[in-house]
Amino acid sequence: MANEVVDQGRRRFLTTTTAVVGGVGVVAAAVPFIKSWEPSARAKAAGAPVTQSLKKIEPGQQLIVAWRSLPVFIVNRTPSQLAALPKQDPRLVDPSSTGTSADQQPKYAQNGTRSIKPEWLVMVGICTHLGCVPNYVGDMKPEPFDPNWQGGYYCPCHHSRYDMAGRVYQGVPAPKNMVIPPYHYLDDMTVQIGVDPQGAA
Amino acid sequence: MIKRYFSTIALALGLLAGASAAMADEGPELPSAATNIRDTASLRRGAHLFFNYCVGCHSLKYMRYERIADDLGLTQDEVMNNLNFTGAKFGDPVISHMPADDAQKFFGKAPPDLSLEVSAKGADWVFAYLNGFYLDPKSPIGWNNTLLPNAAMPFPLWELQGEQTAVLKPGSSADDPQIEKLILTHPGRLTPEQYQQATRDLTNFLQYVSEPAALQRRHYGIWVVLFLLAFTFLAYLLKKEYWKDVH
Amino acid sequence: MANVLSNIGDWVTERAPGLMPVYRKHMTEYYAPKNFNLWYYFGSLALLVLVNQIVTGIFLTMNYDPSAAGAFDSVQYIMRDVEWGWLIRYMHTTGASLFFVVIYLHMFRGILYGSYKKPRELVWLLGMLIFLVLMAEAFMGYVLPWGNMSFWGAKVIVSLFGTIPVIGKDLVQWIMGDFLPADATLNRFFALHVIALPLVLLLLVVLHLAALHEVGSNNPDGVDIKHGPKGNRWDPTKPADGIPFHPYYTVKDLVGVGLFLAIAAFIIFFQPTFGGWFLEHDNSIAANNLVTPAQIKPVWYFTAFYAIVRMIPSAMGTAVWGVLGMFGSIALLFALPWIDVGKVKSVRYRGTGYKVALTLFVLAFFGLMLIGTDYTDEIFPKLFGADIDITAWDNAFGRVMTLIYFGFFVFLWLYTHLGWEKTKPVPERVTMHD
Repeated sequence: MANEVVDQGRRRFLTTTTAVVGGVGVVAAAVPFIKSWEPSARAKAAGAPVTQSLKKIEPGQQLIVAWRSLPVFIVNRTPSQLAALPKQDPRLVDPSSTGTSADQQPKYAQNGTRSIKPEWLVMVGICTHLGCVPNYVGDMKPEPFDPNWQGGYYCPCHHSRYDMAGRVYQGVPAPKNMVIPPYHYLDDMTVQIGVDPQGAA
Repeated sequence: MIKRYFSTIALALGLLAGASAAMADEGPELPSAATNIRDTASLRRGAHLFFNYCVGCHSLKYMRYERIADDLGLTQDEVMNNLNFTGAKFGDPVISHMPADDAQKFFGKAPPDLSLEVSAKGADWVFAYLNGFYLDPKSPIGWNNTLLPNAAMPFPLWELQGEQTAVLKPGSSADDPQIEKLILTHPGRLTPEQYQQATRDLTNFLQYVSEPAALQRRHYGIWVVLFLLAFTFLAYLLKKEYWKDVH
Repeated sequence: MANVLSNIGDWVTERAPGLMPVYRKHMTEYYAPKNFNLWYYFGSLALLVLVNQIVTGIFLTMNYDPSAAGAFDSVQYIMRDVEWGWLIRYMHTTGASLFFVVIYLHMFRGILYGSYKKPRELVWLLGMLIFLVLMAEAFMGYVLPWGNMSFWGAKVIVSLFGTIPVIGKDLVQWIMGDFLPADATLNRFFALHVIALPLVLLLLVVLHLAALHEVGSNNPDGVDIKHGPKGNRWDPTKPADGIPFHPYYTVKDLVGVGLFLAIAAFIIFFQPTFGGWFLEHDNSIAANNLVTPAQIKPVWYFTAFYAIVRMIPSAMGTAVWGVLGMFGSIALLFALPWIDVGKVKSVRYRGTGYKVALTLFVLAFFGLMLIGTDYTDEIFPKLFGADIDITAWDNAFGRVMTLIYFGFFVFLWLYTHLGWEKTKPVPERVTMHD
């Protein structure tokens, strides 16, 4: 082969094409590695929906259930606790959960009691300030942190307060209402946490 | 030129040795199980057999019900109603409810987990094993097996296959019986051909359980190999272009 | 875009002026002989496989449980529950076996073309050290899945050290940290395999390449291009027969990489166990110290050396001779530059005696592999009759192979020290086989 004139154009074309194809290959090869960080089947199984019977929970009583390693509060709210809820509205940050707390609950829990059935509260018990687990203070009597306490939650860490629907009071560190997880009723006295009701938003 | 052939031949020899050794894998003289994990209908039949006849004693502790549903194209309800008799959750692994201590007492040995049985022994072995049970009055459980003499396992599929008896070779003594062949002395619910198919399905299912990823890897593999060959060709064109100035 | 890059380049050069010259020294101004052939792909491929092992290894470590109780389960977890875990695992196991294919071919190139001779003895020694460390790394890696072959392989190989007189028994216990391979053994092998040896390996590879670049690459003709005429298309002071490594060999190696990856991908996606050679059947059974596999043998890449251990009989109440034989078979490779003092480097111009000896050596290596893998147990009865005494045949065949293996070095020493070799005239300039 005699000394040929170097075709720079063809060289550039081939180099670029090879580089691009090679680059595509490298990106494709990276995909499995990145995806391997997704929750594994074991993690997903452990995070599976949790079924809980409501039969043994007395009125005014709270049961804590673990779902995806989170504490979920299930409360059998008394009629007086329920009656006090609308009266709290002026003291709350987002009473209708349509403002800053719009993303804290599924559509079917975006109501005055933040639940499917009024008397049963199903809520993730994590304070929206810095993540502590608030205490259930269900009795409606004056408390040191609120002389006009109508029942609800008091967080020991930085003293945030919520009402019996998990709605945050004004003037506390926490910014939002506590999260309501997806859940639905398998039957009248059984809830399944982690799955929305069929056909619901 | 001769030196180039010499070295290329040495290379080819090595590759050939490797490749032929790779193919000469299965043990001698076992009937071929002829499994095909892409036959989903077969996998489903095999799963059905496993959960009806085997899971009473044998676990598949690395296999989740949900995975079986996904891979075999079954719904959660189908799996939970027709396959799950152990009360496990959908995402749980398949664990037999036979307590290991009881198994030890009844059979002298805990029934092994079968998740990797086909990986360990080969599909042909498992297939032959399922077809190798015969009545043996001398055995404490009444059954014996040509592949695993004096196995502690009773025969769970006798309703389907029926009962086989061993025909001994002429000149065999009672102490050292040499089995010539097995014959079906009492038919079961399935014909011999149907039973062969059933054990083939069951072996197929166990092969799938040994490596569920096998269902997907071949599919991806075609694309990957084709892409890499195309890339190699492109790189070759690039090399040829640059090497025009080397003489 | 190019402007931005060159501005960044200037910024860096102002602050680290040595960087660009280093790049040039090792890439665009490293003049390698222009006649590299097929055998010269394996160095860059070895580097590729090393990167693969490290990257896939890191991702495996994210989900692997290094305890005796959990290791086997965690491998199944990776294979089934971790998204794409099966692919990462197969890439790692296939890479391990292909590493040895590549390394053996790479070493063979060194022998073919005399690349271990002066002035490259240091390159060869560093390479042999890499080989040793790689063997240790692969052995420990194989123990980690804690399958039955992992356990028994560990037991047998560690017990080889027990044949050393006086200290043997204590040494074995010290290596294992227990009375048999156990949790302690697994944990320390994990630490060594995942971080200690890879760091050593990386250091040795850097030194190996640095040593090579100091003296320049050999070539298939064994002709030193630095002693030849000066002046090529790129630089009037550099060897006439040299071409810049980048872009010529980077672009050529890219083709090798593509083809190698295609072969690797075929194995990974279609035959990941490679018929039981890359992933052994017995390792699908969890480690059980009460049940030995039917045939304990190491993974294929160790089998030739393992066969040497088996072929050398015990004597004087000790089995240490086999172990010494195995160490010797590798030590002799270290000593090649001093055993072979022939002046002619490349097999192309060496005496016929050398070519015959080398062919026999290669055949002996494969023969030893056949013994080590117990393959002879299968083929001898087929070839010579079902009623032969397999052990006797194995021993006869294996011992002949062992003698040929060692004999190669003895022959080479005599051949080159006593002037028996008659070489052909070596050309002045490299020859190109277009």
